[in-house]
Amino acid sequence: MSDSELGYGSSFTVDSVKVIAESVGIGNLVDDAAKELADDVSYRLKIIVQDAMKFMQHSKRQKLSITDIDHALKVQNIEPQYGFIQPDSLPFRFASGGGRELHFIEEKDIDLSEILSAPPPKIPLDVSLRAHWLSVDGVQPTVPENPPPLSKEAQKLESVDPITKLSKPANKDAAGKPVCGKAARLKASESVHVKQLATHELSVEQQLYYKEITEACVGSDEGRRAEALQSLACDPGLHEMLPRMCTFISEGVKVNVVQNNLALLIYLMRMVKAMLDNQSLYLEKYLHELIPSVSTCIVARQLCMRPEVDNHWALRDFAARLMAQICKTFNTSTNNLQTRVTRLFSKALQCPSQTNNESGPSMVPSMKESEKTPLASLYGAVQGLAELGPEVVKVFILSRVRWLGERVEGALSGIGGADRLAAGNLKHQLLKVLAPVVRAHRQPPDLPDDYKREYGYLGPSLQQMVSKLRSSPTGGNAGGAVAVVTCTPPLLPSPSPAPGPSLAPAPAPAPSPSPASVTIQHTSQAHAKTIESVASRNVVITSSAPQSPAPSTPPPQKFVIVSSQQKNQVFTNTQPASSAGHIVMHSSQPTIVRSQNSVVVTSGPAGAAPPQKVVVVGVPPPAHQPHQPHQPHQPTAGVSQAPVSVVAKPVFARSGSAQQPPPELDDLSHLA
Amino acid sequence: MGDKSTPLLAVLQLLRKYNLKGTEDILRKEANLGDVEYENLDLPEVELANILTAHHTESDPYSYEFAYDSLKKFVENSLDVYKYELSTLLYPVFVHMYLILILYDHNEHAIKILEKFGPEQDEYYQDDLKRLCAVKNKDQVKGNELAEIYSSNKFQVQLSRDASTQLKRYLHEQKSSPIIINIIKNHIQIDVCDGPGRSHAQVKSTLGGLLGEASRNENRTKVYYGLLKEPDLQILPAQIEDEEEAEETPDKPKKKKAKKDNIFMKKPKSDPNAPPNDRIPLPDLKENDKVEKGKALREAAKRVQLGPECLPSICFYTLLNSGHTAICADICDDSTLLAVGFNNSTIKVWTLTTVRLRGMKSADKLQDIDREAGDVLVRMMEEKDRETCRTLFGHSGPVYKVSFDPFKTMLLSCSEDSTIRLWSLQCWTCIVVYRGHVWPVWDTRWSPHGHYFASGGHDRIARLWATDHHQPLRIFAGHLSDIDCIQFHPNSNYIATGSSDRTVRLWDCLTGTQVRIMTGHRSTPFTLAFSACGRWLASGGGAGEIQIWDLSSGLPSAAIPPASNSPIHALAFSRDGTILASGSLDSTIKLWDFAIISDENINEENGNAAPTQKEDKFLLRSYATKNSPIKSLHFTRRNLLLAVGSYDGSV
Repeated sequence: MSDSELGYGSSFTVDSVKVIAESVGIGNLVDDAAKELADDVSYRLKIIVQDAMKFMQHSKRQKLSITDIDHALKVQNIEPQYGFIQPDSLPFRFASGGGRELHFIEEKDIDLSEILSAPPPKIPLDVSLRAHWLSVDGVQPTVPENPPPLSKEAQKLESVDPITKLSKPANKDAAGKPVCGKAARLKASESVHVKQLATHELSVEQQLYYKEITEACVGSDEGRRAEALQSLACDPGLHEMLPRMCTFISEGVKVNVVQNNLALLIYLMRMVKAMLDNQSLYLEKYLHELIPSVSTCIVARQLCMRPEVDNHWALRDFAARLMAQICKTFNTSTNNLQTRVTRLFSKALQCPSQTNNESGPSMVPSMKESEKTPLASLYGAVQGLAELGPEVVKVFILSRVRWLGERVEGALSGIGGADRLAAGNLKHQLLKVLAPVVRAHRQPPDLPDDYKREYGYLGPSLQQMVSKLRSSPTGGNAGGAVAVVTCTPPLLPSPSPAPGPSLAPAPAPAPSPSPASVTIQHTSQAHAKTIESVASRNVVITSSAPQSPAPSTPPPQKFVIVSSQQKNQVFTNTQPASSAGHIVMHSSQPTIVRSQNSVVVTSGPAGAAPPQKVVVVGVPPPAHQPHQPHQPHQPTAGVSQAPVSVVAKPVFARSGSAQQPPPELDDLSHLA
Repeated sequence: MGDKSTPLLAVLQLLRKYNLKGTEDILRKEANLGDVEYENLDLPEVELANILTAHHTESDPYSYEFAYDSLKKFVENSLDVYKYELSTLLYPVFVHMYLILILYDHNEHAIKILEKFGPEQDEYYQDDLKRLCAVKNKDQVKGNELAEIYSSNKFQVQLSRDASTQLKRYLHEQKSSPIIINIIKNHIQIDVCDGPGRSHAQVKSTLGGLLGEASRNENRTKVYYGLLKEPDLQILPAQIEDEEEAEETPDKPKKKKAKKDNIFMKKPKSDPNAPPNDRIPLPDLKENDKVEKGKALREAAKRVQLGPECLPSICFYTLLNSGHTAICADICDDSTLLAVGFNNSTIKVWTLTTVRLRGMKSADKLQDIDREAGDVLVRMMEEKDRETCRTLFGHSGPVYKVSFDPFKTMLLSCSEDSTIRLWSLQCWTCIVVYRGHVWPVWDTRWSPHGHYFASGGHDRIARLWATDHHQPLRIFAGHLSDIDCIQFHPNSNYIATGSSDRTVRLWDCLTGTQVRIMTGHRSTPFTLAFSACGRWLASGGGAGEIQIWDLSSGLPSAAIPPASNSPIHALAFSRDGTILASGSLDSTIKLWDFAIISDENINEENGNAAPTQKEDKFLLRSYATKNSPIKSLHFTRRNLLLAVGSYDGSV
């Protein structure tokens, strides 16, 4: 079919006719016959399709279906083609060989016994009727049944080019408020065109909504807060309220930082999270308010009343994750968002020796001042940078590790419980963040002295960590790739995911503040890819748990996920040499994990394992959790292994029903 | 029969027709045509003419291209006054050139000319051209629907007297190349009218029909578009209403009553355009129907007056889990029932109020009921039934239209199985199957007064039925292609039909004749709606445009260009006639200011200006749904807009 023919009178080619003839066993069709056939078949098909179009149109559809063709055949007194069903899409495949090209539809052989033994398909849902208001006195209410009044694209366009809003004629298509009253009369008189100030009038309903939501979000009723956050995360049509919401958040952060009200800060960050998750909102216009608030929550000197007791680290982690999400979503080449955020954090890490080299005079904080950067802020900056990816870690943290080490050392040896605690946390965090980067970046052997020389105070610990990483489960065994580990830092009921290289490409659902943290690393680059896929899937699954916060403080979870090409074997951390585990999961909550080898894992607190090639390790409740920051992993419970048959279903069923919602940040709310 | 002998046979046939025996014999002898060929001499008249006129140019397929080019140049170079009228000639000439070339086996030339000049034809003809170009040899011409329409009908072109003089002059100059002369003579009907040449906009407004414009003569009959006088319902039990109101709001009744009186006062005023009430016999109202009518009038008194400043509320009914299976929907006049026709031959009826759908009691139980009792209608219904949805089975193909009768006791449905079924909404069964259509029936509608209904379908014929006859009362033939939509005039005297030939026609139920033929649609009209006053007809097309027709003249009074390419399948006028609502497959409902549209038109008539496109002025507002294509629109008696759509989650 040549291009010129596409407009008028396209038709079958002689070649296609020959191929079709071959497929029904006619080997040598003469060219003339094929031509004749091609013309005739094209004509007939066209007539049928033209008729079928009528049936499609009268069925009020815009997509031709097989039944339309059947009816068209019937109208022409041709027996319809029985037994064709219409899947959603028919992939048109292409094959070539021997100088011939072929397009075909794949038809698979169907095993009847398989169909017979399969459980009957689900009965389709019955048609039901649902009513809603599309418009009330001409105004379209913003209920979930209606589309968002201003699409995300439009919001985006508006934030980039505000002129479009003014030039739009009368805003008729967007079913907003009718133009009436003074504005309309002014418009009608056409006297002077004064650029209207942007009106942010809210209707009474919107004002009520705003009040309800903000009250619920920072109030004490956990149930209402969950609903309010849900509404923020899902409702369309909130864009008119966005300016107010953002101001609310930014003002709220300002006030509560001063008052060291940790709980309220957490609530406000959760509002930010909900708004970021809302599919119909485009927040770029409000980043100038959001980013300072979020970064405040990451690096502020003090976020709570009693730094030695309260867990403000979780807030820093959470806010850091938010910042990473913001950077990922809104970074463009024009706003250089990520660069600016990175600069912000790296400035906090500015060590005296480097300030002179790196930055211009304007950025140089005096040495003394820099030296005084509180440890908590350093922690926040490290965490903030860590969320931005391994490359950032390498460039900005690794180069300053010596100086950071000194600070930690100084604080640990000093007096003052709070400082020591902070230093401990910072140290732990640094090790966790750095170890994978160092491992990827250094060749073995890992000699403590080298480390000491290069990284200063933190060197030896880092060396331990790295070598542990290198040697853990698979050790030098190249056949297996490893994904390991999270360790629970002290005083941190909700350990946060550390960014391994494999976590970075995790798909859409942004890492939710689920306590089930997964840290994944790879020993051998060769297997990076497989791990990556496993890892990202795992992350999705674990974070897909409902967002609603758990009222109680749930135990932390640990997953160890190991995948390898080899088959089942028992694996625990205490047996690092065992060459290939599959998925090991320490969990006191039922969760599902899936690897590419078909694996479903679940485990209740009892550690009952379904019969499958999966190892389940039950972890005792957190009270007994060994608080050893340097030892990544010490499962204490028994390990059970079951024979191979994999039964997927009951697992899914259980995981669906028995899911205990993962705790969110507000398990700290009792601190308020 | 060889190809070459076809012209000879045609000549023979012609000789026989004029009874020129001698010449015929000589020709027979000379061409060695025996008696055997006699049977073959039954070529249709038009084809005969075709063959004979085109015969001598047959040898020169190249001349067609030149001829068309020269005609184009002539049109382009003529004065602006004639240019636009003359340009309407180009398309039919082009189409017939193609057909003639195909007919004479110059297939490559035909395709060449199509590729060269096809793209420059008007946009609305492109679909036709695409259909036509499937025809690639002369055997296919005979069976092809479109080719046959073209070759067996004359294309209508309207020219002013001056323009036609220009054309004649041009054709005179072209004597040496008679291709165009022959085509114009044989296939084009030129309708010469007095007066100055029409402007571009004027010409454009009526173009677009499959066979050109409607000739003016066809629209001369007077149409009684006024409304019927309402039957005297003063006896209706208005007291009940008053009592109710008195109980509810003691101070309001007076005001209401005054208003109501107003409504009753308005009706008796006689409209010069209204047909006599007994022009077509209408059934007497039953006692029950009168009560219904009374209710309707009282409801109407509470109607919200709509306008640009007062837009209606819209209640949207979404059909969930229906995907592509739901086809059509209708809401009964008092807005209590919703019927939906499905792809799988079933019909579902939902109640939209708290009133349940009750069936009738069984026969032996019915016997026990006292037939004289006042509430016999209530008593005969089964009390135990609590259904909110009932399903009607009976059709054997997709149900393309369902329609409630004005008194909501019956439901009509038409289907691909070429039948129309009448269902009782009391016993929930099929009562009558009306057969008569040969192919699928696309649309059926009740008369606003009940008793009569009309239907139209793939067989190009519209039929008028009465519920008490199993045969149609009238058959309206004339459309050249499928009848896609049909609608009764509010006074029940006329039926409007819209067809794939892109014309909308108005038929008189009394005489069975066509009284209006309206061209100007650029795509197939899929839905029709009469304005509340009966003078205007709105039609929504497959490409998304809306046309407003003035029935008094048969001319398009306004054209609303498409907002998107999605077809419009639902149109509804508000009960006070100020707002036109349109629902499209692109999942939007748009409200148009009909007061401006009709005003505009009256002004234009006075100023004799062309109908211009002022979409922005007409459009009041547009409401989008979440991917639920609109199947039906309905204004309640109080002017609340109800819309029905089925949610399509697949996209």
